[in-house]
Amino acid sequence: MIPVFAPWLSDNVRRYVLDCVDSGWISSLGQYVGRFERDFAAFCEAGHAVATSNGTTALHLCLASLGIGPGDEVLVPDLTFVSTANVVRYTGATPVLVDADRRTWGLDPEDARRKVTPRTRAVVPVHLYGHPVDLDPLLALAAEHGFDVVEDAAEAHGARYKGRRVGALGRVGAFSFYGNKIITTGEGGMVVTNDPALAERAAFLRDHAMDPRRRYYHPEIGFNYRMTNIQAAIGCAQLEQADAILARRKAIATAYEVGLAGVPGLTRPPAEPWAESVHWMYSVLVEPAFGRDREAVREGLRARGIDSRPFFVPLHQLPPYRTDAPFPVATALGATGINLPSGTGLGPDEIGQVCDALRALTRG
Amino acid sequence: MIEETRLPDDVMAELARILPDPEPPLEVRLPRIPVVEEAMERQIIPVADPRLDGNELRYLTQCVQSNWISSAGRFVREFEAAFAEATGCRYGVACANGTTALHLALAALGVGPGDEVVLPTFTMIATANAVRYAGGTPVLVDAERDTWNLDVARLGDALSPRTRGIVVVHTYGHPVDMDPVLELAARRGLWVLEDAAEAHGARYRGRPAGSLGRAAAFSFYANKIITTGEGGMVTTSDAALAALGRRLRDHAFSDERHFWHKYLGFNYRMTNLQAAVGLAQTERLEEFVAARRRNAARYTERLGRVPGLTLPVERPWARNVYWMYGVLVEDAFGISRDELRRRLARRGIETRTFFIPIHLQPIYYELFRGQRFPVAEELCRRGLYLPSGATLTEAEVAYVCDVVAEAREEGR
Repeated sequence: MIPVFAPWLSDNVRRYVLDCVDSGWISSLGQYVGRFERDFAAFCEAGHAVATSNGTTALHLCLASLGIGPGDEVLVPDLTFVSTANVVRYTGATPVLVDADRRTWGLDPEDARRKVTPRTRAVVPVHLYGHPVDLDPLLALAAEHGFDVVEDAAEAHGARYKGRRVGALGRVGAFSFYGNKIITTGEGGMVVTNDPALAERAAFLRDHAMDPRRRYYHPEIGFNYRMTNIQAAIGCAQLEQADAILARRKAIATAYEVGLAGVPGLTRPPAEPWAESVHWMYSVLVEPAFGRDREAVREGLRARGIDSRPFFVPLHQLPPYRTDAPFPVATALGATGINLPSGTGLGPDEIGQVCDALRALTRG
Repeated sequence: MIEETRLPDDVMAELARILPDPEPPLEVRLPRIPVVEEAMERQIIPVADPRLDGNELRYLTQCVQSNWISSAGRFVREFEAAFAEATGCRYGVACANGTTALHLALAALGVGPGDEVVLPTFTMIATANAVRYAGGTPVLVDAERDTWNLDVARLGDALSPRTRGIVVVHTYGHPVDMDPVLELAARRGLWVLEDAAEAHGARYRGRPAGSLGRAAAFSFYANKIITTGEGGMVTTSDAALAALGRRLRDHAFSDERHFWHKYLGFNYRMTNLQAAVGLAQTERLEEFVAARRRNAARYTERLGRVPGLTLPVERPWARNVYWMYGVLVEDAFGISRDELRRRLARRGIETRTFFIPIHLQPIYYELFRGQRFPVAEELCRRGLYLPSGATLTEAEVAYVCDVVAEAREEGR
């Protein structure tokens, strides 16, 4: 089976993990955590980074550090992984769903504008499957109404918006390093920001909000969202390879573009002129012209030894967030989108197999 | 931006008599730390450190070589099975850390807004915070002066019609006297959750801590008796509770279809790497417990000769695992707890003060305004714990005890 994603680990992963065990530093106090934070901030062209246990806790920490809580509203895309909305609920605030943008598959700035109320405290654009959201209109909207932009960059390590790395282009942003992510630590996450005070708050809340001068004294309700030294060690080794990883991802996308040329009824992933996508998941939309629906395509791929994923179920269809309000674009993307195998280690032969399988499945 | 809770000056003045002084700087040891038999070179004697010289590296290497480093690897299941068995439970649900294990257990038990959960005021902040994360309200009980656990005799006074359950904490490794707690809970239709973060391997009337209530939450932070760096686990023999815990731990993914979530979940997963370390550590649990008990006996023997110190107890029905060897510095000792800490720090010996009770924490001060828990406050004012780690040697225990005795003799 060709998997949808598998980690691509270098020899240094093993060396650094060994170093953790040899030194006895495996908790969150080891030296790799600080190094990974510095290296990742540099990778994002951001001032500060705060490592966490996973991407969900990173995004929660972003909102908690901004003081978002009960009575507040946060704009989130309808088409995203469920944790984007869950973290809003963890703070006690209310997620307000925004439809998707056909151009980017991310949140639609025009619909966001329609959903702003006096209670809006933040908007969380998600760079879906590696393509950046159009941020300038959102940044303008946020400035106009006095709320914050919090990037959910879990799927977009290294992507660029108008030449700049995503993550800290708003007030603060969150990354995930789960095993299927572009840069991985197994499980892991990171908060990035250019605001030193906010970074300090995030680090404080990450560690039970313990007074740095007085152990076991807690001026606020904090969390244990710490990352271990072993996770960070893997992250350091991954970042050493970041250029190679991003180059391979570009090559994978190009191979798909070439391999799928001429196949009818498959809409290719977004590629806005101002964007540099990292194609976390190389994804296509299965249109009527293809001749089979999305589920039939997935079935056909599976029969040929190729794993795939459907797009996220739009949040407005999930029981905890269910609403009858219309989200036409997210609904259409959610019903037709498919993630193809996209692991960094994927070779041209495997991509060829996937493209041949899709070609064989078309009835267009 | 959230503002920190600032307490009025008169409140702070009163608290100043109870709260510990800031951490003293730890100085590099003087050359007279006796040479230890294993020829281990130490700059200082830490309060806690792990031993990772079993199968840890072998299992970690298997993770990396097999490319399974996330939470989807096989060590997670193996660690859950091995630790649950060691704890006398059918199921284990591994978590990112002990705090998430507590929250997960409370969420799976259905704690929500309007529910009251009774817990000791003398505990680490996470015990209370986890109740708050779930939307519940903590209700506090004072401590006993000898076991430092919650005072079972006062438990009944804390119950109300809104009480849903009781969280007991096996403080510093000594189990709570569970039978009266379980009887009271059964009579009132409440569940009992053990916060066993500090009590791996402890036993109550022969039964393992972690198997005594409806569920338990463990921590595997690096200073714990067995460690995964960061980590936690919910243990239970209740199949439905374990299944719900697993689902909530992983974003409440459903089996019906991809990306289908029927309720609010969390990402509290443990990585395969953490679990690999945890499995290797679990293999040596009894060995680590025996080492802690051995060092505790040495401390008790030597410090028993020093006047003015109250030492930890072990009730006849208990196996205390002495996660941390704590002592109370009584007035008869001659110098204060904080002064003793400073003198130990100057000789390269790390110590920690006891917990600051929940009702004195700034964030909970309003909630418990006017409530006093004199025993917990006294423990906070007098308590410290001495080096208790897995690598602590007999010679180091002797050195620590000598320095304590000398500190007293130096006087004011």
